[in-house]
Amino acid sequence: MIGILKSMATTMKHALDGSTFTVEYPETAPDVSPRFRGVHKFSQERCIWCRQCENVCPNDTIQIVTNDQRQGEQYNLHIGQCIYCRLCEEVCPVDAILLTENFEFTADTKHDFVYNKEQLKAVPWYKDIDPLASREPDRGAWVGEGEGEVDYQ
Amino acid sequence: MSGATVAGGIDAMQALPAVPLQDTVLLPERIGELTGLDGFGLGGELLATFLAAFIVGNLMLAMTGVAGPWAKRKITAAFTDRIAVNRLGPAGLFIIIADSVRLLSKELVIPENADRPAYDLAPIVVASSALLGFAVIPMGSGIHLADPEVGLAYVFAVSGIASLGLVMAGYASANKYSMLGGLRAVAQNIAYEIPLVITGMSVVIFAGTLQMGEIVSAQAEPLVTIAGVSIPSWYALVNPFAFVLFLVANFAEVGRNPFDTPEAPTEIVAGYQTEYSSVYFVLIYLGEFLHIFLGGAIIATIFLGGPAGPGPAALGIVWFIIKIWGVFFATQWLRSAVPRVRIDQLIEIGWKGLLVLSFANLILTAVIVGVVT
Amino acid sequence: MSTGLERGQQPPVDVTEDELAALIGDRALARDDHLNAPGFVIRPDDVQDVLTDLRDEAGFDHLANLTAQEYADRYESIYHLRKYADPTQEVSVVVPTTTDEPVSQTAEPVFRTADWHEREAFDLVGIDYEGHPDPRRILLPETWQGHPLSRGYDQEKPQLVTLTEHANPVQPDHHDDESDTMFLNIGPHHPATHGVLHIETVLDGETVVDVDPDIGYLHRCEEQMCQQGTYRHQIMPYPDRWDYVSAGLLNEWAYARTAEDLADIEVPEYAQVIRTMGAELCRIAAHMLALATFALDVYGDFTAIFQYGMRDREVVQDILEDLTGQRLMFNYFRLGGVAWDLPEPREEFFEKTRDFLDGLPAKVDEYNDLLTGNEIFQIRCHDTGILEPEVAKQYGCTGPVARGSGIDYDLRRDDPYGYYDNLEWDVVTEDGCDNYSRVLVRMQEVEESAKIIEQCVDLLEDWPEDERTVQSNVPRTLKPDADTEIYRSVEAAKGELGIYMRSDGTDKPGRFKIRSPCFHNLSALPEMSEGEYVPDLIASLGSLDIVLGEVDR
Repeated sequence: MIGILKSMATTMKHALDGSTFTVEYPETAPDVSPRFRGVHKFSQERCIWCRQCENVCPNDTIQIVTNDQRQGEQYNLHIGQCIYCRLCEEVCPVDAILLTENFEFTADTKHDFVYNKEQLKAVPWYKDIDPLASREPDRGAWVGEGEGEVDYQ
Repeated sequence: MSGATVAGGIDAMQALPAVPLQDTVLLPERIGELTGLDGFGLGGELLATFLAAFIVGNLMLAMTGVAGPWAKRKITAAFTDRIAVNRLGPAGLFIIIADSVRLLSKELVIPENADRPAYDLAPIVVASSALLGFAVIPMGSGIHLADPEVGLAYVFAVSGIASLGLVMAGYASANKYSMLGGLRAVAQNIAYEIPLVITGMSVVIFAGTLQMGEIVSAQAEPLVTIAGVSIPSWYALVNPFAFVLFLVANFAEVGRNPFDTPEAPTEIVAGYQTEYSSVYFVLIYLGEFLHIFLGGAIIATIFLGGPAGPGPAALGIVWFIIKIWGVFFATQWLRSAVPRVRIDQLIEIGWKGLLVLSFANLILTAVIVGVVT
Repeated sequence: MSTGLERGQQPPVDVTEDELAALIGDRALARDDHLNAPGFVIRPDDVQDVLTDLRDEAGFDHLANLTAQEYADRYESIYHLRKYADPTQEVSVVVPTTTDEPVSQTAEPVFRTADWHEREAFDLVGIDYEGHPDPRRILLPETWQGHPLSRGYDQEKPQLVTLTEHANPVQPDHHDDESDTMFLNIGPHHPATHGVLHIETVLDGETVVDVDPDIGYLHRCEEQMCQQGTYRHQIMPYPDRWDYVSAGLLNEWAYARTAEDLADIEVPEYAQVIRTMGAELCRIAAHMLALATFALDVYGDFTAIFQYGMRDREVVQDILEDLTGQRLMFNYFRLGGVAWDLPEPREEFFEKTRDFLDGLPAKVDEYNDLLTGNEIFQIRCHDTGILEPEVAKQYGCTGPVARGSGIDYDLRRDDPYGYYDNLEWDVVTEDGCDNYSRVLVRMQEVEESAKIIEQCVDLLEDWPEDERTVQSNVPRTLKPDADTEIYRSVEAAKGELGIYMRSDGTDKPGRFKIRSPCFHNLSALPEMSEGEYVPDLIASLGSLDIVLGEVDR
């Protein structure tokens, strides 16, 4: 009986202290840590169409179409299929593909989640956080080193 | 219907309080007077009674409407450190409208093998059995539909009809989970109805009557007076043991935690209500809340002095509703903190624990009352 | 069960390789050593014989894993045995069969856990186990044509029974007029199955007479996906998705440990400390969820404990998000280290972690008030879901489930990896063997994990700045020598999470097999719940803390 009363006292204590741990989204947007991986942003100006991101992607999320001079024509990314592992960002030698902190995206059908390069470019920064700046100290620390051929080429 | 007082068994009953808490005029009669319907003989009387029942029924339904979609969410949220509904209207109250529209506009899915008349009747039986009970509850401020001499027996009898509804729902749904839920419901109701009634009997021994109005009046007599503040002889104070017993048996009777085994969502999905959707679901859901409120009303009437409380007698209904909501709040509180007992343990507690205790309580009360008077 | 104990002789704890060879004797056709264990090739009809001897004479009482695979010229079943007393003692028993008649003797009479394993091997690879008591498919539907992991399997070939025409597995009703029992499908959609699990139950009144878990609804070909990925990059994101509730780093470590041993990669000490800290944070998050959902199963749908559990787990997830950049699917470990150093500013991270650790004892007290101290909770959980230690060993149970049955088995201590060896902490065991003990074990493990994290934070804070290497120098392309085989495991949130890998000389594994702790723990459910009531079945299922993503893989 004492245990039951103690349980009831515990929940009552929580009811009376008035504090809540849920927030009113979207009025109170949650804090996202600088390393958070959200929707991709693509910069055609930077991209050298080396196709490393396409090759490293574990589940074929990225599709690149080039013409016969190896100039880029299309850069499609299915953000609904992506598993947000950030390998594409890590292998990119020119920071052309980045994962922003932006997690707020919706669509009516899953096909709308196939973003082309213009849509990818238009993805806004989340709260103006540039992930490149926030991840700078460690970016690419692990891809450049080592012997052997690059297995994503 | 007679509103005349029946002579109590205890002499002390003669000393009624100065301010009568109970209106001797019942609601149908008053409505008859006000509208002039009493001049139309039996037909007018019936119409006045119907109007009065309509008012009381709607009052109770409105309360469940507030309790179901809104209060329950708010209370649960408070216990679990969350915010809960707050977008629609002041404090999210308009969620009630949104929810009713949502629930009523849903598709009514009826299982292929459902036993039709029983399947359709069950929600109505569940909801109406609780509503019927309110007919004899004195709610104060003149809201009292009828005051028959067997009021308490009547209210136990009609609320017991709900078990029939639950079994019908469980059996007619052609679903094994519903079946289990229905069987659990009936096993539980039989196990707890008896302690409930027996414990109620101990109150009858005190009051010397089954008439609800009389039971309330008997509780208005001061128990002790400390520094000018007189504490009324509410039976919860006179016999707290019976009060706790009744409270526990009542939680089991209405199937609330820790005795919510007939529903037991994590075990048997939703028990007897698994296959009900849309309007039928609303009816069952309303019925559940009505039963909680009816339980609260019985507790308030026979243990907490009915509509008694400080202030003018006109505030009776307010005090009464506060008491009912207190019981409702207790169900939600238990829900947040107390585990569900297993079905066999539940039956064991009922037959081996509560039944024995309630008989002990009955005998003790009888002895004490016999000695005192 | 006939164990060595019953015969009155204690099997030796230490067995040398020569002694093993002598024990198996002529029955060993050849040696096929794995990286971590001696391997003996035996004839398909000697399986029970050899395994019984290994169990009773040499003390290998834990069938950790069974891997089946098809080579060009043969099928192979590999029984990975180890000891509960000392898991570093391992032996592999390799059973080859011909391709045209892949029939092998079943090991089920020796190890009960072989039951499900051999069903899976039959289902995916196509080996028949002679004498198996229940030779059905386990992950794929009964009507499936072909064995997807066999070499000749044509993925393009349409199935005879399409998904829409497929017989509803929920349909058959085994009720017969003679008996008073009722057949009840619990799941695949049921509030308490924690995912898509289907439990075929036979009830006698409210008493459970027979339980048969039907799994495979969440089979996502995880093993095959890992066989399609490169060792270096593409496999690591997937372990997060096995036990997806929050044990990501623990799972990643299983792959990291196996691949690092396979390719002989060193991990810097600093990275090991970070790994240890991250893994224990994950363990706390996973155990919090286990406790919260168990409360849900026992209390009902509006219990406050579930919310409090989620609230406290949220704090851990915030810390993990700061560290790894994601809340559940971390992809933080890399072969040879971790992806990132601690987030800057480090002081802030340490402070946040310490705040959480400081607040933890108060929260644990609260859980004790709400859960373990509650009398109704006690009558619900005491002496229900009994799992005797000998039975648990037969079913290969590990993790909190085994430790709740008094089996002192924790790979963090017994088969050390990471930085656990250098830290002060204890393995928690309880002897109750019931649902209550399993709850207690998880509660105490949360506290032990907190101790580990605290020590890691202290270490990381004082780590010299110029020695903070998070990654060793790893070749860009890993191509381990062909036909190197390894089975390695770590202590994940639910128990021993092991991976068997065989390299085929390319940059992708030739065979990738996951030993899932949930798979084994779930297989013991019938032992725990038959003869008890439906609510106890649900509570036992909750106390096993299964994640269907890991059961079905």
